[in-house]
Formats: sequence, structure tokens, C-alpha cells
Amino acid sequence: MSDRKIPRLLQTPAVVLLLIWMLIPLGMTLYFSFIRYVLNNLRRPEWTTPSLSNWRGFGNYEFVLNSKDFLLAIQNSLFIVGSILFLTVILGVLIAVLINKAFPGQGIVRVLLISPFFVMPAVNAVLWINMILDPVLGLQGLAVDAINSVIDGLQAAPLVGGFFSLWPDFQPISFRATQTSALAVIIMVTWQWTPFAVLIFMTSLQSEDQQQKEAAILDGAGAWSQFRFLTLPHLARPIAIVVMIQAIFHLSLYAEIEIVSRGNGNKNLPYLIGEFANNNIGAASATGIFAVILANIVAIFLLRMIGKTLME
Amino acid sequence: MGRIVLDTVTKSFGESQVIPPLDLTIEDGEFAVFVGPSGCGKSTLLRLIAGLEDTTSGKILIDGDDATQVPPSKRGLAMVFQSYALYPHMSVRKNIAFPMRMAKLDQSEIDARVEAAAKSLNLVDYLEQKPGQLSGGQRQRVAIGRAIVREPAAFLFDEPLSNLDAALRVGMRMEILELHKKLNTTMIYVTHDQVEAMTMADKIVVLRAGHIEQVGSPLELYRAPRNLFVAGFIGSPTMNLMTGAIAAEHDATTIGIRPEHISVSATEGPWKGRVGVSEHLGSDTFFHIHDTGFADAITVRADGEVDFKYGDTIHLTPRADVIHRFDAQGLRIA
Repeated sequence: MSDRKIPRLLQTPAVVLLLIWMLIPLGMTLYFSFIRYVLNNLRRPEWTTPSLSNWRGFGNYEFVLNSKDFLLAIQNSLFIVGSILFLTVILGVLIAVLINKAFPGQGIVRVLLISPFFVMPAVNAVLWINMILDPVLGLQGLAVDAINSVIDGLQAAPLVGGFFSLWPDFQPISFRATQTSALAVIIMVTWQWTPFAVLIFMTSLQSEDQQQKEAAILDGAGAWSQFRFLTLPHLARPIAIVVMIQAIFHLSLYAEIEIVSRGNGNKNLPYLIGEFANNNIGAASATGIFAVILANIVAIFLLRMIGKTLME
Repeated sequence: MGRIVLDTVTKSFGESQVIPPLDLTIEDGEFAVFVGPSGCGKSTLLRLIAGLEDTTSGKILIDGDDATQVPPSKRGLAMVFQSYALYPHMSVRKNIAFPMRMAKLDQSEIDARVEAAAKSLNLVDYLEQKPGQLSGGQRQRVAIGRAIVREPAAFLFDEPLSNLDAALRVGMRMEILELHKKLNTTMIYVTHDQVEAMTMADKIVVLRAGHIEQVGSPLELYRAPRNLFVAGFIGSPTMNLMTGAIAAEHDATTIGIRPEHISVSATEGPWKGRVGVSEHLGSDTFFHIHDTGFADAITVRADGEVDFKYGDTIHLTPRADVIHRFDAQGLRIA
């Protein structure tokens, strides 16, 4: 055997195991997506067992493409993931830079900052939608009530009363509604994942070269220039890592969507798959294949944008 | 112009005072070297001058103006760091241009100065590369380039050569000296290497625990060290120091004689000893002599031709006119 064969041979079990791990589920999904396969059908009981005789060709795909929720689910998936990435990266950088300086109580502040990350997604969603975002009982409702009553009080005041009587009564926003439920999901996931970004950025900031900063100070760079020309380029790589990991995680959000609105006006692809899988395994599998394609498109875009920073 | 005066400057970190009250004047155009063992406060002193550390008390004057409260960027000083401190995400060109960009100079002026600096430092071919692609010596030159373009009143060097290998270090030493002759600007150079201090300085400042032990030209320090510390620190190999009866003969507590001021002979001389290990440098040979009766080991320098074997008996003759004498406090007796 040549020098190369032995290492290859030794790697084989691991590679084969990984392939089986990936290929069997993928193969089964592909197979189910081309046949009629439902969990329960009294008129056509033969469809309840997977079999090649139930071949449907691209029929499941057509069915999914024509269903009214499919386009919404794709748009929503991208909208939710994109917004969360944008917000967590910006908030993460700002908070990390802020707490990187030494101040009293630094340890406690850091632990508190990280803690949202340890909350379970479902608990996070229940807390936010019932206790904070609820228009009547949540903090939001209470805050809007308070602002309204303050304005009411000011309207009766002399001098400024005229100005404040022009103000409208504020209405609390219902985050379970069709139009706003995606925003609720974005808010709660951003709250939960900003700590992750902070954690990664903070460790990176601590490895920043202090002599470079001192050189920049002598070169006449102010705080903003130091941030813009030294800190931000230094953070390019951790930002890339945070974006990659979060993109993968948030494409598969489920619990938050289920709890906020049961998918009412706010489905993403995983949620749509879950809905189909209540009965129509064939359609769910076809949606799954679409989800794989979407994830790959997102991955290609990310690698194009970010890969360069990681390779350097 | 760059005349720098430190007037009773002190620096404390919390309770511990690293720089006790210290006075020092560095004349315009002078090449001053701060030298001392690690932890002696020489880098702290440089950072105080640069403004990267605040003085606890005392004044720093640059060209007669009180600069104690002036922010670092406004002091007109440029600093070259031990780690080079180049900006890793910028090309060499952008690195050199950075201070001018911060000062909002015209782009044409920036380009002209970058080109001029690159030319004088042999960096023209590397302008578009990133610091990570350069060798240690080239990075050092970029750091110097970044300092030159600011046309500072004085350059501050913080152990700039200690990350380079020995051969490159000698070359860069000459380049920095060349630069000093060309620009005629004040330079303050911090090092722990007394060879660098001897070869480069107009004025050496020997520091220990924040105290100035002696200030003077390299030859003054070599010929007339003010105390035992300076005597032991300046010169390579170090001076032989002897106490006891032999010192009493010269009316001193300690006497010192440099290895190069002792001649050797196989047959005659007042001191007799046994040859230990020897270091052959080609041009010179250093012998370590034992069993002389008045010191553990005496180092002598002999011509490279002289040949003694390990264990041979050897006779030594010190040059009487260059024996340094020190009193009980370790101070030089004139």
C-alpha cells in the first residue's frame, strides 16, 4: 500500500458513519417528497404506508409551491434571520465595547449580561409575550398607560397644556396580531442572542493589542478613529463567526413562533413543515427539500461575504 | 527642535513609587539612551515623556513649554514600539499615512511624504503589502517610517530591536544612527542592552529602580563609572570586582579592573592563577581564571592568537593606571 492509502483507510469508518448520518435522512426525505404519504386518510388507506406504488412525481412540490403560505414562509424566514443578525451584531459590538473598560461591578454586570442566553427558547417566548409585550397586562401596556396618564395630566397644566393637548392618546401594540407577530419574535430572539454576540466580541476585544492603541493615540487618533480603524477591523472575524452561527440557528426558529401566534401570519419554513407534518408527510418532505435549498443559498451568500475574512 | 527637560518628575502606581523624584535634561538633537536592567523604570520614564502615563508630580518641558498636561498626540513626539504596533488591517502605505490622515493633511501631501519615507527606508516595493507579510526588519522600518512622516520634535524608541535576530539588529542599529545623523532630531532610546547603549548614544542614562545612577557619554561611563552598579553594567565582559586584602592595598573597599586591561603571560606577572573555560571569538579570547586567591573568577581578554589550555597556569599583569577604586558605599574614589 502507498503512503496515502493507510491514512485514507483509517479515516474510512468515520467518513462512512458521517455519510450514513447525513445521507439516510436526506434520502428518506427525498423519497417521501416524491410519493403520496399521509398519516391518516379514511378514503385512501393505501396512502398511509410509504410505498413506490404511491408515486406522485413533483406533485408534492407543486402542492407546496401553490399553497398560500409558502412564499410568506420564505420571506418571513429571511426577514426574521436578517433582522436578528443585524440587531445582535450592532448591539453586541456596542455593549462589548462599553463593558470592556474596567468599572466597579464589572463581574456582576457581565454575568447578568450573559444570563438571557441560558433561558430556554420556549420560556423566553412565554415571558416576553405575556409579561412584557402584552398590550394590557405586560410592561408594554403598563408603560403606555403611564405615558397616557402623564400626558393627560400635562394637558391640564397651564402654559404647556395647549401643546400637549395636540398629542394623541397612545395605543399599545398587540404583538400577537398578524402584522406584528414577526416583530415580537425578532425582539425576543435578539434579546436572547445578543449576549452570545457580546460574549464572543468581548473575548476578542480582550486580545486586542494595547500597543497598537497607544501608537494610534500618539498618531492623533481620537476615540472614534480608534474604534473605526482598529477595533472594528479587529472584530471582523468574530462578527463573521457570530453571523454564521446565528444564521444557521435562526433559520430553524420554531418555539417562539408557535408560542407568539401559532404561526398566524408569521410562519417560517420549519413552522410550515411542522404544519404539513400534522398529516401530509409528502408535502412536509417537499418543504424540507426547499428548506435545504434555501439554507444552501444563504450559506453560499454568507461564505461569499464572510469567507474572505475567515480565510485571512 | 526638541529639548526635553524633566523637572522633579515622580511616578507612583498605587502605593509603590516607581520613579522617585528625577531631573534630566536632553538637549536638542541629542541621541539619549536609557539603559538599565529590566524593571528599572526606563520604559515608564519613556511613557511619561510620551504622555501615555500621567506624572504623579513634577513637570515635563518640551522646548521650554510645560507639556505635563498636554495630550500625547499634541506633544509632537513619535514613538516606535518593541512590538512595532503596526495596524494589521492596513497596507504599509496606509500605516505610514495614518498619522497624517488623522491630522487631516492634503492627500497630495500625504502621498509625497509616504513616497519619500518609503524611499529612504527601502520600502517602495512593499507599500501595498500588509504588515503580516513582512519580515521583522521590514516591519521595524515601517514603524520608523510612520514616525518619520510626522516630522516630530523627538523620536522615542522603546526597545525597538529586541525582537530582531542578532545580525539584523546590528544592521538596524546602523540604520537608526544614520537616520539620526540625517534628521538631526532628538532621539530617546530605551534598551536593556549595554552594547546598544554604548554604540549608539551621545548620552547614556543608567537607571536602577527609577534612580539615575549616572549620566554621561559612553566613554565617560566606561572610563569613570560613578559607582559599582555602573561599573558592573557598562562594558562587556563585565568588570572584575575584587574586595578584601587586594583592595586594601589600593586604599579601597572594592577595586575593579576591566578584562581588557589585564595582560597575560605564561611565565611572569604579579598575579598567578589557573585557566578555566575560555571563549574564543576569533579576534579575541576571553579566559576565565580561577585560584588567584582574591576572587572567584577573573575574566581577562587576550589576543586571539594567545593559546592557553584548560588547567594551565597563567600569570596576569593589571594595568595600574586603569584600576577603579570604590569606597564602602560603592562610590568611586577619584
